[in-house]
Amino acid sequence: MSVLDKLKLDDKVAIVTGAGRGLGRAMSIALAEAGADIVVTARTKTQIEETAGLVRQTGRKALPVSCDVTDSSSVNAMVEATVAEFGRIDILVNNAGGYTAGYNDELADISDETWRIGIDTNLTGAVFCCRAVIPHMTAAAQTGTGRGKIINVTSGFGLRAGRNNFSYTAAKAGLINFTRALSMTYPATIQANLIAPGLFPHGQKALIDWWKGGKFVPMGRLGLDEELGPICVFLASGLSDYMNGQIIVLDGGGLAGGQAPTGFAPVIPMEVA
Amino acid sequence: MHARRKDGNVLEGFSLAGKSAVVIGASNPLGRAAAIALAEAGANVGVATTTRAKKEEVVANSCANEIWALDRKGFALAIDASLESDIDALAERAASEFGEVDVLVNAHDLPYAQPIGDISFDDWRRAMDVNLGGVFLACKIIGGAMVKQGKGRIINVATVLGERGMANGTAYCAAQAGVLNMTRALALEWARTGVTVNAIGAGWTEGMGIIGGDENRQQLERYLPYKRLAKPGEIRGIAVYLASDAAEYLTGQVIWIEGGALSHA
Repeated sequence: MSVLDKLKLDDKVAIVTGAGRGLGRAMSIALAEAGADIVVTARTKTQIEETAGLVRQTGRKALPVSCDVTDSSSVNAMVEATVAEFGRIDILVNNAGGYTAGYNDELADISDETWRIGIDTNLTGAVFCCRAVIPHMTAAAQTGTGRGKIINVTSGFGLRAGRNNFSYTAAKAGLINFTRALSMTYPATIQANLIAPGLFPHGQKALIDWWKGGKFVPMGRLGLDEELGPICVFLASGLSDYMNGQIIVLDGGGLAGGQAPTGFAPVIPMEVA
Repeated sequence: MHARRKDGNVLEGFSLAGKSAVVIGASNPLGRAAAIALAEAGANVGVATTTRAKKEEVVANSCANEIWALDRKGFALAIDASLESDIDALAERAASEFGEVDVLVNAHDLPYAQPIGDISFDDWRRAMDVNLGGVFLACKIIGGAMVKQGKGRIINVATVLGERGMANGTAYCAAQAGVLNMTRALALEWARTGVTVNAIGAGWTEGMGIIGGDENRQQLERYLPYKRLAKPGEIRGIAVYLASDAAEYLTGQVIWIEGGALSHA
């Protein structure tokens, strides 16, 4: 089989969380273009309906399911709905998450409740989804239809910290080592890898301005949501079969220099020679 | 500015049709696998050896035969990758065969393992000159031409020994780690030129010169999550992705395909 044919996801079923907009929407469409049917989940019904419509335009099936990933009964119901509709789960993209209450606060001002929301949204939700799908992926692996592919979306803030950014950085770092533990525990059943996107403003002007259009990103620009599609397809496909527990950082060079995403572009002045 | 296709199917972004590539170290299993993968994805591919050892030349020639069999243009050249004149010759050959070079894969590999007390400074320098210096030369000469073109992809191939140390590996591990951090530095230096620089970190791979005998191999297999060594072809997907328009925003990264080996404590 040619190397490009192995990218195809025909007859695969993928769940994408946080799929109502932004990166989740872009990854849903990319997976569908590669041939997968998509379970489109997020909390907001109008947004997932819209993404589902875009998935259907590619010729694939879409099942929009409202789901709050921080509520395990909601997650379990979403997974059951997937199995009822499609009979299988091959791919799980844990993309739901985001900055939550407490971002930019002093630690002393972060309440127990605020802390828990941050960790639940950015870490526990992915854990609940993995816990619910792995039995189905195990069953599929045992019947010889292939191992499941789990793709967790972390962040540059999972690898480097940010000032006054406690729960988000802790949760995203936690997601990284949770994923590694998954990869080592179930190598016969699943592969679990991570994508760490850099600065993706999803077309929002306020964010583009806040990040100065990406002039501090080494490549000189911000990321486009669609740029996450190909790497998501790669990680979901047979081409990444030996990749396990790894992070792919897609950030225009930001972390290669070790700077915080909006920091300076490091150049050693030539005078030092 | 964005060469990425916005309208086409996501899979089209991975195609290398109409592109040309040079792969140094196609005489070892990882370089060879990358070269064939790029050709399968549509690229014309010229391959070169790491050293002028006869057995390397034989493998490089058979790799070129496989590229021709896929109906792509290609050539094989025996070089010592640590010599500037040989890299100049490779660049000239590629320019005459293909015009521009879009993709450079540096898969240099001169296996070397000795306890530090037994390493002469000359031997140290040879291991460094080939495994690290050779990558520097290819980036400077062939990558430099890409900067003038305003586009290109450099893919350096190293292994888990670039990240983890190993007894008897002072020279080899240092050279491989050097390749990985040179990748990050050059990615930043060229971040706004249209040339991306990334590395593939391969796992313990079948046929890797550094693995040694059966006892070593069995120990490794027990330790790895998949209970087996990697096959060279397991890097082919990431090689195609990094070489393609689909990876336009990705630079300065080391992508590991190592079966989870590095997730271990």
